[in-house]
Amino acid sequence: MKKIVFSLCLLAVSLGMANAQKIKGSDTVLPLSQKEAENYLQKHPDANVTVTGGGSGVGISALLEGTTDIAQSSRRIKFDERNKLKTAGKTVKEVIIAYDALAVVVHPSNPVKKLTREQLEGIFTGKIKNWKEVGGPDMKIVPYSRETSSGTYEFFKESVLKHRNYMSGIMSMPATGAIVQSVSQTPGAIGYIGLAYLAKEVQAVAVSYDQGATYVAPSIEHAKDQTYPIVRPLYYYYEAKSEAAVKPFIDYVLSDEGQATVSGLGYVTVK
Amino acid sequence: MEQSKENEFSLQLKASGYRLRTRMTQQVAFWTIRLLGFVVVGILVWIQGFIIVNGAGVLSWDFLTQAPTEGMTSGGIFPAIVGTLCLVVGSMVFAFPLGVMAGIYMNEYTKDHWTVRLIRVVTNNLSGIPSIVFGLFGMALFVNTLGFGDSIIAGSLTLGLLVLPIVIRTTEEALKAVPDSYRSGSVALGASKLQTIFRVILPSAFPNIITGLILAIGRVSGETAPILFTAVAYFLPKLPTSIFDQVMALPYHLYVIATSGTDIEASRPIAYGTALVLIIIVLAMNLLASFIRKRVSRKQR
Amino acid sequence: MNTDKQLKFRNTARRGAKWLERGVEGLFTASGWVSIVIVLLITIFLFKEGFGLFQSPTVEKGYVLCVHPSNPVERLNASQIKHIFDYETTSWSEVGGADLEIRPFRFEEIFDYYAEEEFGPDYEFLPDKLAEVVAGDEGILAFLPEQYLPADRSGIKIVEAGNITVTDFFGGREWLPTSTPAPQFGALPLILGTLWVSFFAILIALPLGMGVAIYMSELAGERMRKVLKPAIELLAGIPSVVYGFFGLVVIVPLVQRAFDLPVGETAFAGCLILAIMALPTIITVAEDAMRNTPLAMREASLSLGATQWQTIYRVVIPYASSGISAAIVLGIGRAVGETMAVLMVTGNAAVMPTSLFEPIRTIPATIAAELGEAPAGGAHYQSLFLLGCILFLITLVISVSAELISKKQRQAV
Repeated sequence: MKKIVFSLCLLAVSLGMANAQKIKGSDTVLPLSQKEAENYLQKHPDANVTVTGGGSGVGISALLEGTTDIAQSSRRIKFDERNKLKTAGKTVKEVIIAYDALAVVVHPSNPVKKLTREQLEGIFTGKIKNWKEVGGPDMKIVPYSRETSSGTYEFFKESVLKHRNYMSGIMSMPATGAIVQSVSQTPGAIGYIGLAYLAKEVQAVAVSYDQGATYVAPSIEHAKDQTYPIVRPLYYYYEAKSEAAVKPFIDYVLSDEGQATVSGLGYVTVK
Repeated sequence: MEQSKENEFSLQLKASGYRLRTRMTQQVAFWTIRLLGFVVVGILVWIQGFIIVNGAGVLSWDFLTQAPTEGMTSGGIFPAIVGTLCLVVGSMVFAFPLGVMAGIYMNEYTKDHWTVRLIRVVTNNLSGIPSIVFGLFGMALFVNTLGFGDSIIAGSLTLGLLVLPIVIRTTEEALKAVPDSYRSGSVALGASKLQTIFRVILPSAFPNIITGLILAIGRVSGETAPILFTAVAYFLPKLPTSIFDQVMALPYHLYVIATSGTDIEASRPIAYGTALVLIIIVLAMNLLASFIRKRVSRKQR
Repeated sequence: MNTDKQLKFRNTARRGAKWLERGVEGLFTASGWVSIVIVLLITIFLFKEGFGLFQSPTVEKGYVLCVHPSNPVERLNASQIKHIFDYETTSWSEVGGADLEIRPFRFEEIFDYYAEEEFGPDYEFLPDKLAEVVAGDEGILAFLPEQYLPADRSGIKIVEAGNITVTDFFGGREWLPTSTPAPQFGALPLILGTLWVSFFAILIALPLGMGVAIYMSELAGERMRKVLKPAIELLAGIPSVVYGFFGLVVIVPLVQRAFDLPVGETAFAGCLILAIMALPTIITVAEDAMRNTPLAMREASLSLGATQWQTIYRVVIPYASSGISAAIVLGIGRAVGETMAVLMVTGNAAVMPTSLFEPIRTIPATIAAELGEAPAGGAHYQSLFLLGCILFLITLVISVSAELISKKQRQAV
């Protein structure tokens, strides 16, 4: 008897999931998921996909609490997050849906067109304070960062700053769009944004990860052939047992049509 | 003789000089103050004008009735309007009856008792608590402890708490404005206290109580901080179907498209349009409230 | 018979009505107390979560810091740990150890040392490998998950870091809540930033607000009042996010250009927006206070030959002074708690405020920006609640002092 009730419940839950999928997490993946959801819904009017942001950490903890079906993340699931899920008896599956390159941007009037990783580290940790120290005009450097717990913030810290902390009192913007806005208004500014956010109001600099031997400008091609160093995968995480429910949408995202949306938005396709 | 006349003359001169000077100071002061008055009106005109001028071109029937498309750079704000409507209705269903009853208790049952004074002080404090603290509290109580999750109900309850002091205060004021002769008259005719309240006092105070409701609606529709962690979503293509669904909301939508999105320039017009809709709501609520107030005062006269 | 029944019925009805009446009265009473209940609940929830921070370990939960067994260092505090992992403190002698270079080691780096397969399918060999690494380097400071420490703790020594302390929080100058291994919860820049912005906002709003209040209570004709009163109500009614948006697209570039600054997102931009937002509060309260000046006092002054202006600033303003102070205090309260507008225009840099033309970060903006991403129940989450407590206490003090000030005026009458 109990078993029947239980399986009925499970059925109800899975049925509920079939027509209502919640995607939650990273703000970087957000525009992509949103566009994919928009297109998906046009093809499947009876489906129901909701997309919310909040940050990668939020998405994964929502997956843990069972309040979302897919966690979108701009970083790999952390070791202890995976542990927590394991203790809760949940196995998560991981899908890479696209790649995102982080572009370092400056004001269009800034003559500095290339920087090494070490210089970037110096700038964002506060050791380099003036543009003339990196071959630019005598002008104060104003670094813009994202909010402390966004996946972009973590990834930039990991990849460019080699885990060192940002200078204390760095300007932190609530969203990537705000960084574009501020950098475009501020002559001495420098910031980092997803390639998808790159607009003509700001100028991307070429980056070198080998002490200045080769500089590579951020672009989809360079991200794809892996010459551009600051590239990260974007993930969807979901529970193994709800695979049947989320699969159609994920398959759509990975399909040619879904991936066309990916490159249309300025992300790098999986294949 | 001649001397004293001269003296008097110079005194007069001095006095008139003094008068002139004070007159001058007064003129300068008054003109400065008048100028400041105009500055305040100017600021209002500036802000509203800026948003109206930039937003008016965006506003259209389609803008109000369509969902956002193309990554928030085109389409409309319909889901956000519906969401805000849900939150307004939800919070009012909760706060209005509760606030009115609290107001009745304070004015009709225990007038000028120490408990009422305490409640009044606490209510004042409640209205001074920043909205972000309500957001924190709502998240801790409704979202996490009671397990509502991010939902209309959690957001509505949080917003309801926020505007409760407004409803209580306007109710109290409205009841105070009812002359005591109404009360004694009703009781003298043999009506019970409850009958007096429901048949005599509430009907005559009702229009004023309603202005409190309207002002509360204006406040609720513009608040962002309390719903940030209790109710709102960035993008929901479908309208909510139950009170446990997340919603989009106008103020949060404005915040989101003003600060994020892949193409800030392209979504600017939508931001102006959303800001304009918000301002129109506030404007309409204020006008409605003052209209009702005016009608009531004319009637009472 | 019939009348008996009627009587009975009437009695029941009356009893029923009485019960109903009592029930409704009970309902009224209960709702009367609702504000008190809410404030109590808010206090309980905020403080319960907030003070949990002081039971949280300095090092991220579930992790420990280990050194080589021969290392004499027993304790490290939060900022020492941060400086070591930022490669700013490089020698053990700086933290009370031997003159030896520190090698910070993060857990993930183990995957650079060994191939994934060497740890076994369920990471059962991981503890041994970690112990091997720690034992192999005398200068190491390793940041390891507790569950993968070797069972007998052999070959490693755990360094005490203790819990987050009150002085860490209220005296710390660095706000890096997601820094690993030791998050920095120094709230001092946030607290001072909030007060700094609010104070200067009121400084800007006060002359303007006082001027308008005087104008409305003393000079304006009926027609002008009819324009001003609704204008001020509207100014109060504009949602804060609209102010923020206006600030972002108009005030910020304006400030940047006008003062030729490197950045427009400054405390000053915040001050301007907050000043506009606090104006309605200041004007309404101050105007009320001035209007309450008895006619007799004004007439006495005028009949002594004082001009209207002299009457205003020698009689009306001193008489209304406590009401005006209440207006200032309430205006500060409005500015301190403002969230969205400040979040959008001040640049949110957690620095100690030194100038008006630098970015700044306030408590409400910090909560709004970070709460969504802080995992529930963690130290970061708790620290944001503690910030909420501080905000709550500040506004409480403000409400109570405004109350006391205006009471003083009432007594003076």
